[in-house]
Amino acid sequence: MSDEHSRAGGGQGDILAELEAEVAHELEEQRPPAGGPAYQVVAGLVTLAVGVLGAVLAHGYGLGSLRRPGPGLWPFVISAVIIALSVVLLVVGRRLTDSEQFSRSSVLPLVGLATFVGLAFLLPVIGFEIPALLLCVVWLRFLGGESWRSTAAVSVGTVAAFYALFLYGLGIPLPHLF
Amino acid sequence: MDAFLDGFAVVSQPENLLYCLIGVLIGMLIGVLPGLGPAATMAILLPVVVTVDPVAAVIMLAGIYYGAQYGGTITSVLLRLPGEASSVVTVFDGYALAKQGKAGTALGVAAIGSFVGATFSIILLSLSAPLVAGWALDFGPAEYAALALLGVLLIATIGSGHPVKALIAASIGLLLATVGRDSFSNAQRFSFESMQLADGLDFVVVAMGLFGVGEILYNLEERHGKAHVPAAVNNIWPSRKELRTAAPAIGRGSVIGFFLGVLPGGGAVMSSLAAYATEKRISKTPERFGRGAIEGVAAPETANNAAATSSFIPLLTLGIPANASMAMLFAALLVLGVTPGPQLLEERPDLFWGVVNSMYIGNVLLLILSLPLVRIFVRILRVRPAILAPITALITILGVYTINNSTFDIFVMIAFGILGYLMKKVGFEPGPMVLAFVLGALLENNVRRALLIFDGDPTGFLTRPISGTILALFLVAALFPIVQAVRHRRRAPVPDETTQREDVLR
Amino acid sequence: MRKQTLSLAVVATGAALVLSACGGVETSTGSDDGGDYPSGAVEMYVGADPGGSSDLISRQVATGLSDELGETFSVINRSGSNGALAAAELEQAEPDGSIIAVQNASLFAITPLAVAEGEVTSIDDFDVVGGVSRDDYVLVTNADNGWATIDDLKGAGKKVTYGTTGVGTGSQLSCALTYSTADVDAEAVPFDGGAPALTALLGNQVDTACLQVGEARENLESGKLTALSVFAPERIDALPDVPTATEQGVDVEVYQYRFMTTPKGTPQDVKDAIWEGMQATFETEDYQAFNEQNSLTPMEIPGDEVVEALETDKQRYADLVEEYDINLAE
Repeated sequence: MSDEHSRAGGGQGDILAELEAEVAHELEEQRPPAGGPAYQVVAGLVTLAVGVLGAVLAHGYGLGSLRRPGPGLWPFVISAVIIALSVVLLVVGRRLTDSEQFSRSSVLPLVGLATFVGLAFLLPVIGFEIPALLLCVVWLRFLGGESWRSTAAVSVGTVAAFYALFLYGLGIPLPHLF
Repeated sequence: MDAFLDGFAVVSQPENLLYCLIGVLIGMLIGVLPGLGPAATMAILLPVVVTVDPVAAVIMLAGIYYGAQYGGTITSVLLRLPGEASSVVTVFDGYALAKQGKAGTALGVAAIGSFVGATFSIILLSLSAPLVAGWALDFGPAEYAALALLGVLLIATIGSGHPVKALIAASIGLLLATVGRDSFSNAQRFSFESMQLADGLDFVVVAMGLFGVGEILYNLEERHGKAHVPAAVNNIWPSRKELRTAAPAIGRGSVIGFFLGVLPGGGAVMSSLAAYATEKRISKTPERFGRGAIEGVAAPETANNAAATSSFIPLLTLGIPANASMAMLFAALLVLGVTPGPQLLEERPDLFWGVVNSMYIGNVLLLILSLPLVRIFVRILRVRPAILAPITALITILGVYTINNSTFDIFVMIAFGILGYLMKKVGFEPGPMVLAFVLGALLENNVRRALLIFDGDPTGFLTRPISGTILALFLVAALFPIVQAVRHRRRAPVPDETTQREDVLR
Repeated sequence: MRKQTLSLAVVATGAALVLSACGGVETSTGSDDGGDYPSGAVEMYVGADPGGSSDLISRQVATGLSDELGETFSVINRSGSNGALAAAELEQAEPDGSIIAVQNASLFAITPLAVAEGEVTSIDDFDVVGGVSRDDYVLVTNADNGWATIDDLKGAGKKVTYGTTGVGTGSQLSCALTYSTADVDAEAVPFDGGAPALTALLGNQVDTACLQVGEARENLESGKLTALSVFAPERIDALPDVPTATEQGVDVEVYQYRFMTTPKGTPQDVKDAIWEGMQATFETEDYQAFNEQNSLTPMEIPGDEVVEALETDKQRYADLVEEYDINLAE
């Protein structure tokens, strides 16, 4: 969905709450099962670690005083807030159902990610055309389940369009082989 | 007034009209396609957009945002699949109408309502923005700090997701904003002696990662084998009787949307829920809702467009983005060398009025597009998402590279993409993090400036009238969810059908 | 371009594996085949955001060079760290004149006083083609305060706050030196550039500010701001009624100037071509009107004289800062 999920905190009172439940139910059908307490605890511990690390480093930058705040004061305060909130999350968040289980299909984003990293590494070396073409093929054929025919047509067309758009249309110096 | 009219001169330049059209078309398109939201789309297109003239770029990005509100309706009605979160409630009655063979009517009413709501908001925006901007010089560091603090809090609490999680995400966003050189002491923070990090994380790169790549990866996992069979679309012009039923709902939706949209963190999603709830509450026949009540489509669709438009007010007048999409617009303006804030109206009237007035025109375009062209957009629904996915992926990677011609940026973006994906999996929304990241430097620098001016005395924040008022609001906003939660808990033990019924009717 | 080390690592491993014999990767959109300078589009880096005086000056010079030398000179904004970021990129660029930059004296003479040793940008890493113009600082206050001279500040009876355009800038140095020399109790409030500092002063959020003349001029003429002093060696044409600090018994001389630089090791004929183009630009009416409009004093001196001035100023500032025990970075 989009950046804003359907949850409103209040104002209109009970109908709103009821609507929220209805909307949540509506969305539930499309969502994989919730991850359970382990997911919530791990998330809380990770944010806690971020907070502790931030606080330690910030302390090292020098806190100064309120009259003359040092470079570390602000990040230290923020880190302290993160630590406090993480503790709250660890206490109250165990039963939340807003996480999603990793499943067999979580491999798909991993493959997608690999193509991103591959393109990033190859871009400065052999230009964008071949890696981009490979990315398209992987995404269309293996991640998207398109037929070989449409894979070939769409990926060649896409790379050609990008070539024209970036190098001629916008005049942006993208590393290219040809 | 002159500047206002000049604004129309700015918009009516063919180039700007073209970008307005492109913007609303892209907006409608991504609204129709479930998957990418407007904030992600704006993030992905940022590097391409910054190569054009600032006014045209902002006109186009704004068009994407409000255009998406129109587009989201179409899938809600035809597929029972909201293209945008702000169209979720439209599903209830919109899809019911579609099943009764009245899909066209629902879309027609939604388009008209959207147009009325948006136009209402633009008119109020045109009138109120100069008033707010008039206080510009009274806003010192203390006021900016208070305002940014309020913004971060409101976004985290009345936005989306669990409030504690949203606050954690926002705090981490604030922490990320401190990476790099501290502009007060020239000391390096969290940059670990990396040249690339010495000047901080590039906002566009972070946003493209969290929104763009995160969402692309997330969609890879979610999208499999869903066949799109849209309902048939018949006559799209609603009858006079239907219009008469919808008209009051459109009126109320406009007002609700406008006011909720101005609130930071409010925006389109909350206003559509609130408008729907209001209609259901005051209706003499609430049982029709969910079974094809035309008001149930008119109210939320009007409200979400009104809110989408009015959320420009805090951005353009105070420089505080009200939601994730506005944060992207904020970033775009910064990249283009324009700092949104109280000075914007005075310093760049061409940009200010050009963008505001482009919304009048953009909405006319959308009304024209969405009525007769609905059938074409329905056909777009048949394009398989698998084909669009690699194209968006490529735009993202190549786009981020072109910002600084840097492969380092691609890796940073990928890293934040992984973070964004994992956040979604464990129930954290990336929105508050991105917003807090945008506001982070503004908040920190102004707090520190204010402390220098107050000679280290933090009570200075409370004794100045404007910052004191804002901080009082902050306190209300912080306490409200807690009070609300306590009230809920007290009520929860009696999930009795009859009491709920009463609540609804009350 | 920024990720040199990574790119190198990638090249090392990748090139062996993949297409080592395939002609390599093109990054430019056009083709440069040698010949007389300039043989293709030239990029001019600016270490500041669009709209400020550094940016405007670079754009004016770029326009002139494009007209005189026939190729496109495009300005690219790489803001950050008072220009150190743009400088670092220029330093690593190919020394063939395809990437050049108009840089600020403050980066070389003042910023070193405010940053760690390892972050100092040295003029020795660049070739200096020639000077461009001088931009003076002016101490201003909101007209509502009723102050007219530096002496009035001594009688303010409170701690005076002053807005600066950033840490390690001439704006900060000139104000800090003035208040130390005149023995006024004061506190610096750094802003991100001239525009926000000006806004804060107009709203009387800070008591005074040191700004570049061009930034303050409009509001001085309209009477919203009062100029207390300029920091030039003598009174300046744009503000003939404003006394210098020295005249008021406060011995502070701080000014900004800008000059054209190329990466170290750029061939002499390339530098000569640029300098000729610049001198031709300086002659145009357009350019002179631009200087007039932005209160800039021409400083069109050869490169070696620029370097000399930089060295002198750097030493002078360092001595002053030490004498008055001023810490720019705190």
